[in-house]
Amino acid sequence: MYQLSTPTVLLLLLCFYGLTFLVSLRVGRKDENVDGYMVSNNSIGFGMAAASMTATWIWAASFYAAASSGYKFGLSGALHYGFWGALMILFIYPFGRRFRALAPKAHTLAEIMHARHGRSSQMILAGSNIVGSMISLMVNFTAAGALVAVLSPLSFVHGVLIAGFGILGYTIWSGFRSSVLTDFGQLFAMIFAAVVIIPIIFFQLGGPELFAQGMPTLSPEQASFYSKTAILEQGAPYFVAVLAYAIGNQTIAQRLFAVREDLMKSTFVTATIGYASIVIGLGMLGFLALLAGVQPVEGDLNNLIPQMASTYLPPFAIGLFFIMVIGSLSSTADSDLSALSALVMTDVYGKNLAKGKPNAKTMLFVGRLTMVVATMLAVVFASLKLDILTMLIFVGALWGAIVFPVIASLYWGRITNAAFTSAAFAGFLMFLVARFELLELEGVVALSFELFASIGGGVVIGLMAFGFFGRKVGFILGGLAFLILAPFAFGFLRDYPVLLSSLTAYGVSTVVCVLVSLLSNEDFDFDCINERVVAFHGNTDAATEDEGVTPCPVLR
Amino acid sequence: MSSFALTLYVLIWPVIAAAVLITLCVSLYRDMRKAKRDGTDLV
Repeated sequence: MYQLSTPTVLLLLLCFYGLTFLVSLRVGRKDENVDGYMVSNNSIGFGMAAASMTATWIWAASFYAAASSGYKFGLSGALHYGFWGALMILFIYPFGRRFRALAPKAHTLAEIMHARHGRSSQMILAGSNIVGSMISLMVNFTAAGALVAVLSPLSFVHGVLIAGFGILGYTIWSGFRSSVLTDFGQLFAMIFAAVVIIPIIFFQLGGPELFAQGMPTLSPEQASFYSKTAILEQGAPYFVAVLAYAIGNQTIAQRLFAVREDLMKSTFVTATIGYASIVIGLGMLGFLALLAGVQPVEGDLNNLIPQMASTYLPPFAIGLFFIMVIGSLSSTADSDLSALSALVMTDVYGKNLAKGKPNAKTMLFVGRLTMVVATMLAVVFASLKLDILTMLIFVGALWGAIVFPVIASLYWGRITNAAFTSAAFAGFLMFLVARFELLELEGVVALSFELFASIGGGVVIGLMAFGFFGRKVGFILGGLAFLILAPFAFGFLRDYPVLLSSLTAYGVSTVVCVLVSLLSNEDFDFDCINERVVAFHGNTDAATEDEGVTPCPVLR
Repeated sequence: MSSFALTLYVLIWPVIAAAVLITLCVSLYRDMRKAKRDGTDLV
């Protein structure tokens, strides 16, 4: 494979991180505002917000996984990755509107859970968000190491270190504001590169002639737009994760609190289209590789995109490709750093360690320190080359246990802290049992898990329908989905532990949450959330509102 | 699917991406002008 020379790669990295650093200086302030550091001014415009949402959601793995899917499943493969990934952005929108209406000054979703339920629910959500962001950070640093190692004579560790310190350098001072501002430039580079690279590779491979030669060599499943294998092995598990990733990911929550409220719809819709077009487009490179009979180096599908780039692109376009991947991983990694700092500042320091009296300067210090520690940990773990994708799938499925409790808590006043906490733990426990087959999946045990998984399927469909069309449609479609899924699930899902465990997490957590809630007579006053979730900067009330969460008035 | 349809299927994505980029750039330009006029920060 063609490699860029060491000076060229170093120059590209220096230009990229140097320019990004200079851009971030434009928003630097001597006295940084803690709220601005976490969610900017709550009124970011459409262009900046949509670009940031898109850039954040596209990470290096998006390209590799979409291309792998295209190569493995053929015609529909890239769609089954990119389309569902894009829908993750769209499906959080209706719930995002609710979050924003309840707590316009929120910094994290966990902070809203604190106001709604108290500490245990808050820390469950904050903890899962922190784990998710740390893993994402590691994945992005790992991708930087792998890219540098493949496309240059430099080593994996060099790539990890340069990316780690480059990203920390421009994010640490202004936090989320730096992240959003630099996202625009990074997305510009990504789209520009994608727009140039995809057609070049297509025509290098022979253009439309490629289809005449390649299509007959595909299997019937690969040649079908409605491939059952692609749906079951790629589309369905990803579809199940749609809501879980959106709820479990603080980077998206931060942006929905940051954008101007009346621009939320256009921002989310544009980000959905932007994500889909870039990721599906690059996923098509996998499909083209399949048609051309390209064999991935060492049989590793992750090598496919760099391999296609280095084989079919002229040197200047390889440089563009290099910047595209560095841009994608940097925009996600700086968002992860900002998300981690906001979680620790708000949920660990502000609401817990500060005992209800957060100091703005200390809070800012905590945020910056979090970024340094997180970068160091991610660099170390990335250097160990752990099996991170497995960890990510694990965490994604784990988030399934909190989706229903989080969403329902903001619509149904009867849910209690005990219901939230017990539902999350029960869902997590049953997820572990199903995922690692701690019990033999046979007979009544298997049927029970398949029943809960069917309920989980109904919950996923029901919540999605509820978000866009309201309670009635949500209940009807959720119920129908359960009735349609159950007969197929019994005796079948036990052979697919990843899908079974993900759906079980949804199903068990929902059943437990509803049952425990029905035991109580609580009727939460949602106006209390806005009273409790306030800006930290220059707000003296913020210093006193958290001396232990006082129960909100109960409406009878 | 015909070769033309497949070509369209592969190349439509960069076209959509380019359209999104143009939309975002125009919008950012307007936001920058408005921020400058109002004396406010962009982010």
